[in-house]
Amino acid sequence: MKLIDCDVHNVPVSMKEISERMPAYFRQRGIHMPGSFGIKNPMGVLRVDAQGPNGEPAGSVPSVMKEQLLDAYDMDYAVLIGAKFLGIGVHPEVDFALAIMRAYNDWQSEVWLADDKRFLGSIIVTQMDPVASAAEIRRMGKQKQVVQVVMTSATRVPLGDRYYWPIYEAAQEMGLPIALHPGSECTGVSESFSAGYPASYLEWHTNLSQNFMAQLTSIVCRGVLNEYKELNFVFVEGGFGWVPSLLWRLDKNWKALRNTVPWLKRAPSEYVFERCRFTTQPVEEPFGRGELEQTMRMMQAERTLMFSSDYPHWDNDSPVRAFPKLDDDLKQAILWKTAAELYHLTD
Amino acid sequence: MKEKIAHEICKVSELPPGERIIIEIEGKSIGVFNVHGEFFALRNTCPHEGAELCKGTITGMNLPSEVGEYNWVRDGEIIRCPWHAWEFDIKTGKSIFNPHKVRVKCYDVEVEGSEEKSVATFPVEVNEEDIVVVYL
Repeated sequence: MKLIDCDVHNVPVSMKEISERMPAYFRQRGIHMPGSFGIKNPMGVLRVDAQGPNGEPAGSVPSVMKEQLLDAYDMDYAVLIGAKFLGIGVHPEVDFALAIMRAYNDWQSEVWLADDKRFLGSIIVTQMDPVASAAEIRRMGKQKQVVQVVMTSATRVPLGDRYYWPIYEAAQEMGLPIALHPGSECTGVSESFSAGYPASYLEWHTNLSQNFMAQLTSIVCRGVLNEYKELNFVFVEGGFGWVPSLLWRLDKNWKALRNTVPWLKRAPSEYVFERCRFTTQPVEEPFGRGELEQTMRMMQAERTLMFSSDYPHWDNDSPVRAFPKLDDDLKQAILWKTAAELYHLTD
Repeated sequence: MKEKIAHEICKVSELPPGERIIIEIEGKSIGVFNVHGEFFALRNTCPHEGAELCKGTITGMNLPSEVGEYNWVRDGEIIRCPWHAWEFDIKTGKSIFNPHKVRVKCYDVEVEGSEEKSVATFPVEVNEEDIVVVYL
């Protein structure tokens, strides 16, 4: 069975690989991302068995990634997402963030996409400057192996806002979906979760889904999918168990409050099923047998759900072990077909 | 029941306290650990998603406690899977969060004299030249 992994994390062996691609002033400053407010995963976020042969960081050596992931599972494609650099989206020093953005995108093409045709790239952008980000999407978006734009799901203002629309306009023009990926929540200039700051990594990690719910609601309700009719969104690593109940609630409220969002001409769920995709990892692990399959049915997983491993992070999933036995058509849709259609992969 | 077969792993000096080695016996990948001078062996496969459990971090654990208390115990006796960080007791193979239902196979380990292959009862003064033997 053909297989695409929609969330794989590549990093440089040394930050110098990125900084040497930056303009002189920023190059000498090195790479500084917004720090956290004091909460980190006490085990670290990297698989300790994924380091390179000379102790290189997990995800930094293409041959190790191929051995442990692409070759191990006979994968056709792996979508790279430079999660380590998505903090540029909440970086208060905007010009510094833009320098990192351009350097990372060049590095991704030169080091990873050039290494193997199975690697697919995501252009990183920063919400701190939507116009400059739009220009970056147009600069990088023509390459064959570049398949999407990715930005952090952490924001000050939710992602449906018109402030961000230059990013969406450029992505639609280049035929690229917008992927959202967590990790910068509560850092840089971003807001905390709705109720306030979490007190442990466990709280923080659990609440990431809450942020994804807020972003999806905002994108749908503020009319992004109406304004940009060809644009698709990918919700990466934000969970999916919440999708049915959020859509029930959106549809129910829309029946009464449709006048406040008159551009939504159909039930909100219909836009989501058609234009939004969700990745599987970290796969939900419900209490009882059959409940995961039931959740998948409720979210029309045969057209909305795409496999992701999150290699080489601590909570990564295996394509052969993460799911119970699924119906063949559904399995094929999750592992290959839905992502192949979204990213225009023909073989 | 089939009689267990002894498999020599290494000299005691080659597996110091806090270390582990991963070996293949009868087609099975097995991690052998020296925990504060005692030796244990676990199947190198996590029951969750099949990762190589024995390559994970060797650490301790916090006991269940009252709010605001942190009782760090058993340093060096716990292995955490390199994926998902599930905790297992190296001495029993039992998981910490659900020891009765979630566990990994553990094997008998003995330390045997290098001169004559007589089994030393354990714990004893361990000679660095003695051999670590796993039974399965």
